[in-house]
Amino acid sequence: MTSVIEFKKVSKKFNRGKRHYLKQALIDLFKSNKDEDFWALKDISFKIQKGESVGIIGVNGSGKSTILKLIAGVLFPTKGEVKVEGRIGPLIELGAGFHPELSGRDNIYLNGVVLGLSRKEIEEKFDEIVSFAELADFIDTPVKHYSSGMYMRLGFSVAVHVNPDILLIDEILAVGDIAFQKKCLDKLGEFQKKGATMVLISHSMELINNLCQKAIFIEDGKVKAIGTPGSVTTKYLKYIKNKS
Amino acid sequence: MFKKYLSYKDLFWQLTFREIKARYKQSVLGYAWAILVPLLNLLVLSIVFSYVFRVPTGNIPYPIFLFVALVPWMFTTNALTFATGSVLANSSLITKVKLPREILPVSAMSAKLIDLGLTSIILLFFLIIYHISLTPNLFFVPIIFLVQLALTFGMGFILSATNVFFRDVENILGIFLTIWMYLTPILYSSVLIPENLKLLFYLNPMTGLIDAYRATVLYGHLPDWSSFLYSVIFSVLILIIGRSYFRKRSRYFADVI
Repeated sequence: MTSVIEFKKVSKKFNRGKRHYLKQALIDLFKSNKDEDFWALKDISFKIQKGESVGIIGVNGSGKSTILKLIAGVLFPTKGEVKVEGRIGPLIELGAGFHPELSGRDNIYLNGVVLGLSRKEIEEKFDEIVSFAELADFIDTPVKHYSSGMYMRLGFSVAVHVNPDILLIDEILAVGDIAFQKKCLDKLGEFQKKGATMVLISHSMELINNLCQKAIFIEDGKVKAIGTPGSVTTKYLKYIKNKS
Repeated sequence: MFKKYLSYKDLFWQLTFREIKARYKQSVLGYAWAILVPLLNLLVLSIVFSYVFRVPTGNIPYPIFLFVALVPWMFTTNALTFATGSVLANSSLITKVKLPREILPVSAMSAKLIDLGLTSIILLFFLIIYHISLTPNLFFVPIIFLVQLALTFGMGFILSATNVFFRDVENILGIFLTIWMYLTPILYSSVLIPENLKLLFYLNPMTGLIDAYRATVLYGHLPDWSSFLYSVIFSVLILIIGRSYFRKRSRYFADVI
């Protein structure tokens, strides 16, 4: 087994303050602002094998999403190294890059190329994407008129048709009605069978237990536990109980 | 490196196409605005500067003298304005998907080429109406434009990347472009620049470019080589510096957006 994702002593620092304005930057020049630094991840190391499904759990603000963004390659580590091999299908905030004025059809092409497909590949998969999203009747309507469920369905459909090697999932299975949720889960199962790697963030222990072979418990930017979903989720629930 | 960009060809087209398609979708006149705005500008400026201020332009009528400079200038202004906000406007992409971020300002600026194409057609009509004799030196225009493109793209890289960290850039840009316009011989002829200030005016790379457009299109001359060459060097440098600056900064885009 080869590892497709590897974190080597990864730390990520953010700046707490919003230095979006020149005025603030000038003020900051004159005073030291060490306390503005915020370490979202501290010295994290782990490996994910090809074909593994890994759940990441932790309370809000513990650094889960930062890990996903480092894997997605949109953030870069402050220290350490992140290695990722394969095409990534980010199921993070579905429909990223949809343009509200454009039709569903145009947005499929747009989102498809954003996720790394060529125009030709999208043409081939177009009908499949539309029928999976159950949007055949609305495909030429501007997406600003879509309901949030329709929007999500289209986003999910494009993202899974990219045929990713690594699926990143950030608490999105709250999408759509129960029937569509089931369809999403089935699709994820299909990916697992095909040997795709999955990293998913969820607050649903049930989902983690059912879907994953491994779980990582993150607390305050550090790996607190790593192992089988059963043992890790038990530790997590115990931790939550003690905390409150 | 080239191959890597080739694989993003479709992405580039889709993003550019999105800008073009979405731009005027809600407006009744649609793409007619791309022509109407420059024409209205031309009309007002022509009245003010040929009837009120009477800027001397030799034997070339003022409106066409102005339009030859105004068309390329408006491309740079539009492209820079549009590029500056382009990274922030696509923040949802920046924080979710890995893609070469240069593509955002590049496609924003490229979408403005459509507007330029449309106004250039109008310009061609004007040249015919005003009986400007077109000479083979017109073939220099694409070369001059390439230089202008390098300058514009280079600046667009710098502005769009900086705007992510300091939103002031958007506010400063408008006034900066206005000042730049007055310091460039667009409304007036470069002949009118006082001798002792000439060097200063020609430090502005746009001066050499506008001069070159007028020389080749209106007068059928070749560009003045010394000022044109300066613009070439300046523009290429800006492009190289701008792109590497953008690449360095783009690593931190998702941190602050």
